[in-house]
Amino acid sequence: MSARNPGIPLDLEWVSKVRVNTQAVLKRAQQIPGRNKNKKQWQAAWLLRAVTCIDLTTLAGDDTPGNVHRLCMKASQPVRADLLQSMDMHDKGLTTAAVCVYPSRVADAVKTLKAANSRLPVASVATGFPAGQTPLKTRLEEVRLAVQDGAAEIDIVINRTLALTGQWEGSDFIKTSTGKEPVNATYPVAIVMVRAIRDYFLRTGHKVGFKPAGGIRTAKESLVWLTLMKEELGDEWLRPHLFRLGASSLLADIERQIYHYVTGHYAAYHEMPMA
Amino acid sequence: MAGSTIKTVYDIFQSMDYGPTSSSTATAQAWLEHQSGALGLFIDGRFVLPAGRQTCSVTDSSGGSVCTTVCATDEDVSLSVSSGASGFKAWSALPCHVRAKTLLRLVSGLQRYGQCLSELCDLAQSPSSFSALVRLLQYYSGWAQLRDTLLPDWTPRGLVAVVVSDDCSLYSLMLKALPALAMGNTVVVIPGVETAIPALLLAQLFVEAGLPAGVLNVVTGNVLSLASTVAQNPLTSYVTYSGNKNDGEKLCRATAGMGVPVSLSISLGATCPFIIFESADIDSAVDGVIETAFKKKRECQWLLCVQESVLDIVVARLKSRMAGMKSVPLQKEGDRRLVDAAVEEAQQQGATLIQPCAPSPSGASYPPTVLCGMAPSCPCVVTPPPGPLLPLLSFRSQTEGVTLGNHSPHGYAASLWTEDLTLALEAAKGLSVGSVWVNSHSVLDPSLPLSGHKESSNCTDGGKEGLFQFLRPSSSSPSLPRSSPTSLDYSRFGTATSAAIIPQGPDSSSCPRSYLQYVGGKQCKSESGSSVSVLAPDGAVLAYCPDAGRKDVRNAVEAAIKVQPGWMKRSPTDRAQSLFTLAKALEMKRRDLAASLHSQTGLSLEEVDKEVELSIAQLYDWAARCDKETGGILPVPQSGSALSIPEALGVVGVVLPDSSPLLSMVSLLVAAVAMGNAVVMVPSPKNPLPALEFIQVLQSSDIPAGVVNILTGGRDQLTQALANHSVIKAIWYWGSVEGCQYLQHTCASPLKNLWLHCLEEKDGGRVWSQPPPSLLEERWRRAVQWKSVWIPTA
Repeated sequence: MSARNPGIPLDLEWVSKVRVNTQAVLKRAQQIPGRNKNKKQWQAAWLLRAVTCIDLTTLAGDDTPGNVHRLCMKASQPVRADLLQSMDMHDKGLTTAAVCVYPSRVADAVKTLKAANSRLPVASVATGFPAGQTPLKTRLEEVRLAVQDGAAEIDIVINRTLALTGQWEGSDFIKTSTGKEPVNATYPVAIVMVRAIRDYFLRTGHKVGFKPAGGIRTAKESLVWLTLMKEELGDEWLRPHLFRLGASSLLADIERQIYHYVTGHYAAYHEMPMA
Repeated sequence: MAGSTIKTVYDIFQSMDYGPTSSSTATAQAWLEHQSGALGLFIDGRFVLPAGRQTCSVTDSSGGSVCTTVCATDEDVSLSVSSGASGFKAWSALPCHVRAKTLLRLVSGLQRYGQCLSELCDLAQSPSSFSALVRLLQYYSGWAQLRDTLLPDWTPRGLVAVVVSDDCSLYSLMLKALPALAMGNTVVVIPGVETAIPALLLAQLFVEAGLPAGVLNVVTGNVLSLASTVAQNPLTSYVTYSGNKNDGEKLCRATAGMGVPVSLSISLGATCPFIIFESADIDSAVDGVIETAFKKKRECQWLLCVQESVLDIVVARLKSRMAGMKSVPLQKEGDRRLVDAAVEEAQQQGATLIQPCAPSPSGASYPPTVLCGMAPSCPCVVTPPPGPLLPLLSFRSQTEGVTLGNHSPHGYAASLWTEDLTLALEAAKGLSVGSVWVNSHSVLDPSLPLSGHKESSNCTDGGKEGLFQFLRPSSSSPSLPRSSPTSLDYSRFGTATSAAIIPQGPDSSSCPRSYLQYVGGKQCKSESGSSVSVLAPDGAVLAYCPDAGRKDVRNAVEAAIKVQPGWMKRSPTDRAQSLFTLAKALEMKRRDLAASLHSQTGLSLEEVDKEVELSIAQLYDWAARCDKETGGILPVPQSGSALSIPEALGVVGVVLPDSSPLLSMVSLLVAAVAMGNAVVMVPSPKNPLPALEFIQVLQSSDIPAGVVNILTGGRDQLTQALANHSVIKAIWYWGSVEGCQYLQHTCASPLKNLWLHCLEEKDGGRVWSQPPPSLLEERWRRAVQWKSVWIPTA
């Protein structure tokens, strides 16, 4: 994570002055994929960069210490060693950005990672995820408990009742959605959000990170997300301290694309170690 | 790619640069090889490679030779024109749906060979969008299908020469060639260097799609000399040009007096304002700037105008968005010197720069650069230098933003950014440009009329409006007879003084009346104070009228331009009411007018009564039309609203014919005035009295003073004065062949819309007494210019 955002007093005049032209943003969103025509090692390098930005996530009702353990092991060795070796990337400490689990699974994740000598941070969704419709008291308690169990990062669901009625909260990162909505991370919405990040940076000097989450499944999409960040906010927002991809199945597709780059063959899913 | 083999995955992983873009040109190369690397001319449905011609080498971006094209000779041009003329018989005789189908078949041809075409365009450094070409074909195929249904009484002109400058895009070329073909004309295309190869391929594909031989010919070589050779050929009916201003002017001068109408679309090099109001989505606006302002090849020179209250915000965003940008290759050898000089000069005037990196000490590229703190008087604004330089100006109020945007001789397009609907529409209305792009830029679609205002064009391309340049009313023959240019001394045209009036000796029987002319709502003598005599049909001196000259034209234009904007802004119904008062005033004074017509022309009382009656009818007719002739909402493929709006031209100079002196004057006056123009009318020197008598009618109507001005005197003198006044946007001329030649030559710069007629009328004034609907339509189309407004919405 970047330096903390201390926040500023709520300035509703600023918020009310924001103008967004839907068509212009949609057009921009259509153009972004075309900006990146990377091939070969350029594409492989970008895919590896995407891997380093992934919050490898499991948020299921049936999560157990077992599958969380697998997830953590995959997060700390996200790409097959032989593939990395052939790109001379095996000794670069490549991991995902974090693992992301429910509060009750934080302890499991921390334990696994410690046993594996990994310094990978554990992120936890908290505060009545995904609806956020629980009382402030229990929401705060949930955060406290997750931190106590060793969570280094907390994904908070803001109380949208407050947001929709104009009572905002501040943060170090902003996230498109919980991933549990029918529509999650879309490029036009992301463009508006990252422009708010730029606006905030230009006014206060504080850099806020961005995390799209939900429905990001293909390597190609991950490249578009990186392109969007590069185009709108610049190269600094291509690193995990300011950019995360919330995803669960994305990593497998990226790994297959890297396999293809290295070997020239298309891999079956079972050829990639599972998470 | 030498660079890419050195960069390791880890290097890229760290730098996160984009990789090099490589594009294959294999298909294009294969086609060129099939043509043996030497492209011929496309005449009469096939490639011909005449022996012993000079060739011209087309080079790619790295300077390597792509292939050679032929420099056509006069003999080749003559072949292509006769092929086009005989092709016209076949093509124009086809039913509309057959022409439509041929255009549609080319769409499938394009889809088959699209790869080849786009690679050829890339090779020739004239990138063009494949989907835009398909859209053009589909759109004009529709018009081909519907010509007879929706445009009855109009007929194709014949053989049309489509000329584009070397730097013009394939899209602009096709925006001329396709409507010409769709309306049933045949076309000789004279492409520039950059469009030669794709135009030749398209011609071949067209023939494969079933276009009859001769309908589309392509001759390559020196554009200007070929164009004047084609224009000189009596089989050519019309010449239309798209491209840069310089070549357009030269073309006008070279073809003046040939008796062929020439129109220009200055589609390149215009200065266009990019206006960001404080109510804009600033990020999207800045995004638009980044996208369009620093391209290697750009159609227009943008001028960034930003409202002061958001200046800092815009500058900060420009800095952050431009941070990673790379240097842009310059177009020409020697550009670097000009760019360096311009930047240095701007800095000396206090400009601050936004640049992603320092320019390399030398070399043919330059980083994208915004010159902040510029003013309209700075040289880089007045005459924009080449290269990726963007001058930034600030303005205080919304009104000042529009004023700033308008303060330029160009009127091609403007981009304006605001989320305020009222402001957007008001600014769109206030900008004197042909295309207004609200919250967007550079949107081109064939359904949007493209009609540059001011010096940016004298014709309309695109839309239904753009079809009329390729048509003429079926009932009338071309108004400009073919001629050969005479060795006219342009500097002396219209400088001869009128014959002085000398005392005729005592003769108490005749005491000719002295008439006054009409300027700014007042009757007055000429500035010089001198008069000329008006003769009756029997040769006796009938009256004296003022002998007006340059100063009178100046006074009349001053009066006209003062009142015209207000007249134009009046609602059409309001203008209609004023015209009704004019019609009523003429009814009241019908006897005076009839008497004046009678003594002037010697026609029978019955005939003159009829002319007065028809004149009254014309006034009622146009009063009724005022609020009926409107633009509309256009269906475009993108999501949003597109408006096409007819606007008055401004001040129109009308040099009137000798025939039907009252009716012709009233018909032209009312067509121009009804659409919101002001006019400076020059009555025929032979028959000026009815027009001078009409001043009484004007004075008793409530047409505002200055909207109509009437000057009498030598036709050539006044034509010369009108031609040399920059405020006058259009001249409707009835007069001599030499007058037409003079106007074509002179009105190339500043550019005016010309509607030229030589005196000899064969139909005995039927165009005035019984104008067919298409002729009336032509009159109002001549009286307006089009503006398209594009407002994208979700």
